Amino acid sequence: MGNKQTIFTDEQLDAYQDCTFFTRKEILRLHGRYHEMAPNVVPMDYTKDPDVKLPMQLIINMPELKENPFRERIVESFSEDGEGNLSFNDFVDMFSVLSEMAPRELKAIYAFKIYDFNTDNFICKADLENTLNKLTREELTAEESVLVCEKVIEEADMDGDGKLGFSDFENMISKAPDFLR
Amino acid sequence: MSYHYNEAFENPDYHNSETLESGRRKASQMNSMFRQNPYDSSPYDSYTDHDGREQRQSYSVDIPMATMQPGLEVSQSAKRWGTPNANPYGNTHINHSFEYEPEFTYTPPSTLSTVDGPFARRSSDASEEEKIIRNLASMTTRERIKAIQKMPKTMKEKREIRNKVLMEKTRKSVSYSTEIHCCTQCMYKIALSYRRFRNGLSELFQSLQLWQKTLKIIGGKFGTSVLSYFVFLTWLLTFNIFSFLVNFSFVTIPQFIAAGSNNLSFTGLELLTGAGYFQQTVLYYGFYTNSTITKIENSTSYDMQLAYIFTIGIYFVICFFSLVYSMAKSFRNNFVNPQTYSGNAGKLLCIWDFNITNEKAVRLKQKNLSTQIKEALSEGKSEDLNLSLKQRMVHIAIHLAAWIFSLGTTAVCCTCVYYLSINNLKLFMKGDGTELENQAATLVLPIVVSLLNLLTPFVFSLLELLEKFQYPRNQIYVTITRNVILKMSIIGILCYYWLNIVATSATECWETLVGQDIYRLVVVDFLFCLLGSFFGEFIRRIIGTKCLKNLGVPEFDIARNVLGLIYVQTLTWIGIFFSPLLPAIQIIFFFIIFYVKKVSLMMNCQPPRKVWRASQMTTLFIFLLFFPSFTGVLSVVAITIWRLNPSEKCGPFRGLSSIFDAVSRWIDVLTNYPRSAWVVWIYHNLIESVHFFFILTVIIIIITYLYWQIIEGRKIMVRLLHEQIINEGKDKMFLLEKLRALQASTRDTPARKGASQQFSTTSSLYQPPGQLDQQRHLSMPNYLERPLEKNKSSFSAKPPYTADFPETSGFLPGDPQRQQPSTKPGVSEALALAMRARQQAEREMEDEDEEDFRS
Repeated sequence: MGNKQTIFTDEQLDAYQDCTFFTRKEILRLHGRYHEMAPNVVPMDYTKDPDVKLPMQLIINMPELKENPFRERIVESFSEDGEGNLSFNDFVDMFSVLSEMAPRELKAIYAFKIYDFNTDNFICKADLENTLNKLTREELTAEESVLVCEKVIEEADMDGDGKLGFSDFENMISKAPDFLR
Repeated sequence: MSYHYNEAFENPDYHNSETLESGRRKASQMNSMFRQNPYDSSPYDSYTDHDGREQRQSYSVDIPMATMQPGLEVSQSAKRWGTPNANPYGNTHINHSFEYEPEFTYTPPSTLSTVDGPFARRSSDASEEEKIIRNLASMTTRERIKAIQKMPKTMKEKREIRNKVLMEKTRKSVSYSTEIHCCTQCMYKIALSYRRFRNGLSELFQSLQLWQKTLKIIGGKFGTSVLSYFVFLTWLLTFNIFSFLVNFSFVTIPQFIAAGSNNLSFTGLELLTGAGYFQQTVLYYGFYTNSTITKIENSTSYDMQLAYIFTIGIYFVICFFSLVYSMAKSFRNNFVNPQTYSGNAGKLLCIWDFNITNEKAVRLKQKNLSTQIKEALSEGKSEDLNLSLKQRMVHIAIHLAAWIFSLGTTAVCCTCVYYLSINNLKLFMKGDGTELENQAATLVLPIVVSLLNLLTPFVFSLLELLEKFQYPRNQIYVTITRNVILKMSIIGILCYYWLNIVATSATECWETLVGQDIYRLVVVDFLFCLLGSFFGEFIRRIIGTKCLKNLGVPEFDIARNVLGLIYVQTLTWIGIFFSPLLPAIQIIFFFIIFYVKKVSLMMNCQPPRKVWRASQMTTLFIFLLFFPSFTGVLSVVAITIWRLNPSEKCGPFRGLSSIFDAVSRWIDVLTNYPRSAWVVWIYHNLIESVHFFFILTVIIIIITYLYWQIIEGRKIMVRLLHEQIINEGKDKMFLLEKLRALQASTRDTPARKGASQQFSTTSSLYQPPGQLDQQRHLSMPNYLERPLEKNKSSFSAKPPYTADFPETSGFLPGDPQRQQPSTKPGVSEALALAMRARQQAEREMEDEDEEDFRS
């Protein structure tokens, strides 16, 4: 216990526990990982909530994210400034949502953000093409990807505005139980 | 422009807004709010300068209609896309060359985006937040934590909310009882420490969970589909651990106390055959005593008969409920909406398995995905070519032939097993030859059964090549069905042999014989499983990588492996009655299988190429485990208990005409004790009574029927709502048409022209005035256009421009009619507005004409 006290106060740990899907130990481990990435910048003592942010470049090199084709988008979606600089709070938040304990509704909200590349609140054709490129490593020809994206919008767009709003997205994933398991 | 966090949107509804209905409700709420005080809290203003992360999200939940003209949208998005943006993702990015704050202040209040400073907004923020906090404070601690965890907000906001809720709570409790302040403090501390204790406990449980890390690694390397096999394996393992604990503590331990000595010799072959030495151990039914066990004189005794029957009975009841529970849960999660996207939409946005972290796996997955998409595209092209009648007939004939062949194979297998088993029994009864020969002979049957189980699926998979299914999903289902039929009919024929032939034969202790048979089957199946992963995966990989390069690395066949597990589990369940410690053996085997499969997977296999709908398959497997497997076991056990004569000379039930007699005798004894009259009553009126079961069945049928009707109703409801959504979409389009028409008709008024020029000078840097013009109209009904505000320019320029339309303001603020909260959806309301506005405009134009005429 003695070791824990130096990183977080009990109140902080309680708060983290209440706000995420993690246990005390896991939060401490997360802090360890966060600290590990930049030992010079991140202090060991977090009792005073220091304002430290790590750049995206460090975060996306974590083994958990390194191979994910959406890594940049994931980090950006969770960063408070939208540029991918994560404070420890954002960092914990990200893993909390990505953890298997998080409910689907929550994951859906963030997944929508991740797929919404241009942050216009809709998954439009450009977003879909981006997604497709990430998923297939740009192996499809331009025609093919346009065709696929058109089909996707046709299938999932219910209100006929030519792009997918969050309700379209939600409706779609409600029919795909494998989504983000 | 200050960046304080968005509190206005801490709407408690928000995270629940899964259904369209709630989204709609919210939309209408917002509309009504907008209408109620159009001047002092224009939503446009009030949402402008928050951090956009959450709101943006919530907007899209509520009213997904930012820009509705497809053509325009394309140009817009293309524009946005094309513009090199230093900061394309951020929520807080504002083009500083166009700060909109000053423009707000100069905007006349009679426009669409009426503004009156941040104060109104702040107050609404505060009230919203207070509402949430009050809501949260009224919840129990557990619920509150769950609600906070689910909020799609940043940690900072969540913590703020949490602290406020806690403050509120303490304040409340203090105001309730200022005098016992100390006491509440004390209680609070106790509650806190209790919670910490509970969290610690859950941490402990988590660390006890088996193979958590291994499962993560497998998931990371092979994806969810392969993971589902291992999860299923651990799930079965926990089942077996539970049943072992129950059997061991209530049946075996008492038996140890009463056990005599075992004088049979142990050679080692027994481990394989389960006969010989093991015959006289607690492993088998025959060894258990029928007496009551009393260690201390005159104390309560332990009735072995009752213990045996109740332990196994209760175990099966618990199994039944846990299976039904997990099945229902799985169904609810995965089959709620049977209408699935077979097409591309699901594929594109839902397919990525975020579990995968391994580089090779990612590459492979990406490759598979692109081929799949290409295939889907080519299929889409060829789908139009309808098959001719002749071709269809050929298809059907092939399917029929395949089915006849597979069923025929199954029948042949069953006959083979049947005659072999009868032969086996004869051999056993004769008992000539040496002991060793006899024991070896008993192994013939299990080896043949396992061989059939191993080889016939390969034959079936050859059939797959002949039948060309249109959808791979159908192929998976058909193959699974065939394999299940095969495995279950083999087990069925064995059960028939055990219950009808072995049980009536003149053996000394038929239950032990059956127990041994099952033991051998389980052991041999385990060995074949090991051999299967050695030959099927290891040797196959060697061949695939060294000799025949085009074969490649084998895929991990999830369906075959899972069906194997289901088969073994069925055997174990049947065996529990005849050999109560069979679960222990099964635990060991499952442990070994887990590690062997893991190593074999890591070394030899690659993830399956086909789309594997993991969650639906898991549901299917749990269902299979329940339906032919567990219900079959239940009926076998029921027949054994109610119908068959237990052996005369062995086992706890020796000397009874049927096993259930033990219970009825116990009840007879109990009738003498007035204190346990209720047990007797329950027995006579509930368990033995036909009426009770009749009534129960009727009630259950009625309930089922009611639920069925509810489901039907819901289906209709869903369809209607779906249609409504589509209609709303059309409404929107129509409304936009109207608005455009209105705009066209009002454009040529001279005053406006001047203004638009003025406007275009301010905004020409970014967009041509025409486009902006349209945008203004688009954004008018949905003031929620978050991204555009965020994407600066166009919006920042908006207020002065909108000010130039005095007549448009007529249909927005200050109209008494619209101040009444409306229950109608916002869209049709807005449509009415558009119509009226247009009429007004036309009237004005007429007036002007008249004036001209007069002058």
